[in-house]
Amino acid sequence: MLFDLEIQVYLDALWETAYMTLVSTLFVFVLGLLWGAFLYGTDQHGLWENRTVYKIVSVITSALRSVPFLILIVLLIPVTRVLVGTILGPTAALPALILGATPFYARIVEIALHETGNDLKETGLSFGATKLQVLFRILIPESLPALIRGITVTAIAITGYTSIAGAIGAGGLGNLAYLYGYARNRILVTVASTVLIALLILALQVIGDLLVKKLSKTS
Amino acid sequence: MIRIERVSKQYASSKDEIALNDVSTTFESGLIHGIIGISGAGKSTLIRLLNKLESYEQGNIQIFDYTDLRLLNQESTRMLRKRIGMIFQSDHLLSRKTVLENVLFPIALHRKVTPSDTEYARSLLQEVGLSDYASRYPAQLSGGQRQRVGIARALIQKPDLLLCDEPTSALDVMTTSQILQLIQSTARRHHLDVIIVTHDLNVLREICDTVTVMDKGRIIESGKLDEILYKAKQPETQAFTKQIGLDLGTLKNQFPIEELLLLKFEEEIVHQSIVSEMIQTLGVSISIVFANVSPNKKGTMVLHAPKKQTEIIAFLKERKVGVDHVV
Repeated sequence: MLFDLEIQVYLDALWETAYMTLVSTLFVFVLGLLWGAFLYGTDQHGLWENRTVYKIVSVITSALRSVPFLILIVLLIPVTRVLVGTILGPTAALPALILGATPFYARIVEIALHETGNDLKETGLSFGATKLQVLFRILIPESLPALIRGITVTAIAITGYTSIAGAIGAGGLGNLAYLYGYARNRILVTVASTVLIALLILALQVIGDLLVKKLSKTS
Repeated sequence: MIRIERVSKQYASSKDEIALNDVSTTFESGLIHGIIGISGAGKSTLIRLLNKLESYEQGNIQIFDYTDLRLLNQESTRMLRKRIGMIFQSDHLLSRKTVLENVLFPIALHRKVTPSDTEYARSLLQEVGLSDYASRYPAQLSGGQRQRVGIARALIQKPDLLLCDEPTSALDVMTTSQILQLIQSTARRHHLDVIIVTHDLNVLREICDTVTVMDKGRIIESGKLDEILYKAKQPETQAFTKQIGLDLGTLKNQFPIEELLLLKFEEEIVHQSIVSEMIQTLGVSISIVFANVSPNKKGTMVLHAPKKQTEIIAFLKERKVGVDHVV
């Protein structure tokens, strides 16, 4: 017994939270990169400049970001049921986590690509590079430190989302803190779960910082 | 030869201002051409048309064996761009690649890099004086060194034309001079045509054969370097000649124009005391109103000579000094 519950319960919950965070972060990284690259590419001075398309996608991005996460989960219940087969458990939380965090990361990607800038785009084109080469072989590699910093922030935000998802049946530390701790008035469980979430976030930040440091050792 | 005929361009973002207004000019092969103008004059836009980084609505551009640039599809555009090297104001190097990788990068985009490519890249690095820096990263180099890498990279695809967009604007005076000399020597060695865009006439004076002056999207004057430097007709051009200490506008207000003589010294005679000899021999009174003379370099001088101009001209011509009236 530790903090009012078997240690295995905490470990299981920690694993569920880590699983939800890591799997959705992976999806968010790939999807957000493409989404953000699309935003950058269609914006002014982009590779495929198209103001109308940009405005439409930009509005959708902002709209998705403004939906509160709890409501997003509820709205996605039918989709989740089709995709995952259930609406309970950590895997069922993934669609909502991914859809909730991808627009957020897409904006970070868009900003990072803009920062890397017009100059490198022109340079690449002047070599005779295709637009896709400019994007994937120049702009994204050059923006990598900023993209990694961005995904670290996003992963931490996702960890926060998992707690909300946990409270309504996704499992993990959020579930533990809310159902076992708050609802049954066992304050120690809530505190212990919170500390574990904090440690997880700390670990994510350390990993992110190390990656950025490794990538930036050229300067 | 590059022929630009009646080209106009307007940026979608600026409704009122026209970027290029009915521009026509030619750039002869085998020369270093300079384009000068204040910012917003359209000079960068003009050279960006040549490798299709910008498009144009009206007119026609002929370059290499392409008779109309607007007709090129994406693939032909990439072929065109491979024949045109470009260097920019800042180096635009890839920060996460080494110097050697940066130089080879344009090739790596098109095909696998071969050992002979690497060898050529190393020879280019040697040419720009950076053979010991091949495995460094851009952040470990100075501004001038990075610009040298940019030059080597622009040459890796063996281009026929080199476009330089404000190549020295971010560099100090010493480094500027070195980079310009490097552009000149590489142009000769690789038989490149060069077009340099700048707002500083000192840059053009150092290496250009011809000068084109632009203002508000139009070409207002163009000609051989000396014609533009010392015989500029347009007030906009005269504003630039002030950069080299020659205020033609004021000179023409202060002195009768026919009393101003332009002297040109060749390298081998510049160190002789021709002017003082002339004053003694002819007993004339003159004042030197502009001079740019240094040992072992070509020199120029503007004299105000109120009297005996025919004798002065004869005396100087006898000693192989070029003499001409200003404007």
